[in-house]
Amino acid sequence: MTEQIKTDFEKIVKTSAFSEKDVVLKKKYLNRFIESGFPSRKLENWKFSDLNQIIKKNIGELSFYNNDTIPNKVDTSIFVEGLEHNKIIFINGRVEKIDFTYEDQDKIKINDDFKFLDEFSNSNSLLSLNNAFANKCYKITLKKGYSMKKPLVIYHTTNEKIKSRNINLRLEFELEQNSFLRTIDLFKDEAENNFINIFYNFDLKEDAILKNYKIDKVINQNIRYSYNNIEQGKNSVSETFILSSGSNFSKNEINCNLKGEYSSAFINGIFSLNNEQHHEVRTIINHLIENTKSYQLIKSVLGKNSKSVYQGKIFVDTKAQKTDGYQLSKAILLDETSEFNAKPELEIYADDVKCSHGSASGSLDENSIFYLMSRGLNYQQSKELLINGYLLDVVEKITDSEIKNLIKSMIGIRE
Amino acid sequence: MLKINNLNANIEDKSILKDFSLNINPGEVHAIMGPNGSGKSTLSNILSGKKGYEISGEVLFENKNLFELETEERAHKGIFLAFQYPLEIPGVNTNIFLKTSLNAIRKARGEKELDAIEFLKLVKEKAKELKFDEEKLNRQLNVGFSGGEKKKNEILQMSMLSPKLSILDETDSGLDIDALKVVSDGVNTLRNKDNSFLIITHYQRLLDYIKPDFVHVLMNGKIIKSGGPELALELEKKGYENFN
Repeated sequence: MTEQIKTDFEKIVKTSAFSEKDVVLKKKYLNRFIESGFPSRKLENWKFSDLNQIIKKNIGELSFYNNDTIPNKVDTSIFVEGLEHNKIIFINGRVEKIDFTYEDQDKIKINDDFKFLDEFSNSNSLLSLNNAFANKCYKITLKKGYSMKKPLVIYHTTNEKIKSRNINLRLEFELEQNSFLRTIDLFKDEAENNFINIFYNFDLKEDAILKNYKIDKVINQNIRYSYNNIEQGKNSVSETFILSSGSNFSKNEINCNLKGEYSSAFINGIFSLNNEQHHEVRTIINHLIENTKSYQLIKSVLGKNSKSVYQGKIFVDTKAQKTDGYQLSKAILLDETSEFNAKPELEIYADDVKCSHGSASGSLDENSIFYLMSRGLNYQQSKELLINGYLLDVVEKITDSEIKNLIKSMIGIRE
Repeated sequence: MLKINNLNANIEDKSILKDFSLNINPGEVHAIMGPNGSGKSTLSNILSGKKGYEISGEVLFENKNLFELETEERAHKGIFLAFQYPLEIPGVNTNIFLKTSLNAIRKARGEKELDAIEFLKLVKEKAKELKFDEEKLNRQLNVGFSGGEKKKNEILQMSMLSPKLSILDETDSGLDIDALKVVSDGVNTLRNKDNSFLIITHYQRLLDYIKPDFVHVLMNGKIIKSGGPELALELEKKGYENFN
């Protein structure tokens, strides 16, 4: 891989308009990535999902070169109907369009500069890969007091014209004091067997509200990794909803730093998996100051040969008295070949806290199925009704009613 | 309508029903009384198609072999079981469940499926008759319902689905006098020359409200005596232990 990645990097540098400074910065990250490589199960965080093996098995050798100087044609048929929304459109890893039509233009600042790559860092080698290859680093700033009128839909698309076997997407968001952003990530891939690597960094200032909904619904053969870093100031609220269903492999990581008093984080997720799919959600909530809250609810419905993993960590700092931290994960195993792994972790250094975790798994209740069938429903209908009911309370956690209804209709959940 | 000939049922090695036979004609109401563990619930489970029993013998419903039909096909043909312990189904709205159920059965019978408005009109009517709190129709199925409400909900479902044979498995247990009366009224309204009932109970009390044509005493998986309503009174007086 090392030769390929170096050659591809040089090729990109030649065809792009990167400044010398940019190239130096990106090269630094490239070398970091080459040094550590893809994460494998030797790392605790990756012990349930050995990405190195998964890529080898499903894709083989990766390639990294894309010609980002040529625009792609936007397929407008993918746009969500019945919902007025702003758009960011990614096609084959290229930012094709940023469109905030519905907003006051002086309240939103959009900058594009690789210096933002340094705004957050961690030891994750995938971040180095992302920094080395992301072809743009946009930073979107919502100015003080501004509530976005319409949600932002981020379209993640690929098509057959893609050259590389790896895509790196990067966005930075700053929510200034008392601002409000709703985003929906929609994944629609036509290209197969790519490793898609997405990093978002959200910086929420005092009283800011972020609602981020991720919808991976369309069946595709890609390996997807997505990382959200969320920094939270005083009184800020973040809500994350993940539907993890379409990709062959997917891992969503949410890292949330509750730095300001009275800040809170909500994470809710659904795994709905089948045939050989393997998905993971890993969350880290860092309660770093007094009076912060976090709530997590993750439910899985697992068909034949599928596997879901939930690793949820709640860290409570010595300073973080009066923390509330809750997490619950549940799974229905529809087949004896399906597998659910839960690893809850509580690391608590303060004494006045309320924290809990719970995990449960089982099969569909046969008595409930018998009850429904005795009322004339066939096995399939009964099963669907029970699963629908099982997942409904996760969807009901979505606080935005417009988006909640959209998501319900997208995933076929009804009240 | 229902002919049971020499039905034997085992769970693992335990024999529960032994050469059980019973004949129910259209329009008849039969009551089966028996102590705990006599096989009453097993009988109702087997008639509605619950799995997990080893069965031999013959059960004909309208001259068709019942054992060749799946649980939902039996419901389509007009068999209804009011559960002793109705299940709580989280996340499933009672109205949506009722509509899905009713339309599945109507469809199987070759009748037109009801749209939302027709359905709501019907369900409201029935709920009113049974003094069933309409607001509960919008709640999750049986979740947080009291014992009495759950039983009333069973009778509501029964009256919505208008079955040919209704099996009431200890529907009276856990009901107060007022609820008992409402439930009995619900059953009596459905009684006609075509519909039959099999009422399973411990106590004679329910039979004051729903007059059976026949009473059978079930002990150790076998009917030991059959008679008219007077048999229930005799049983109540003597108790099961001294009945033999």
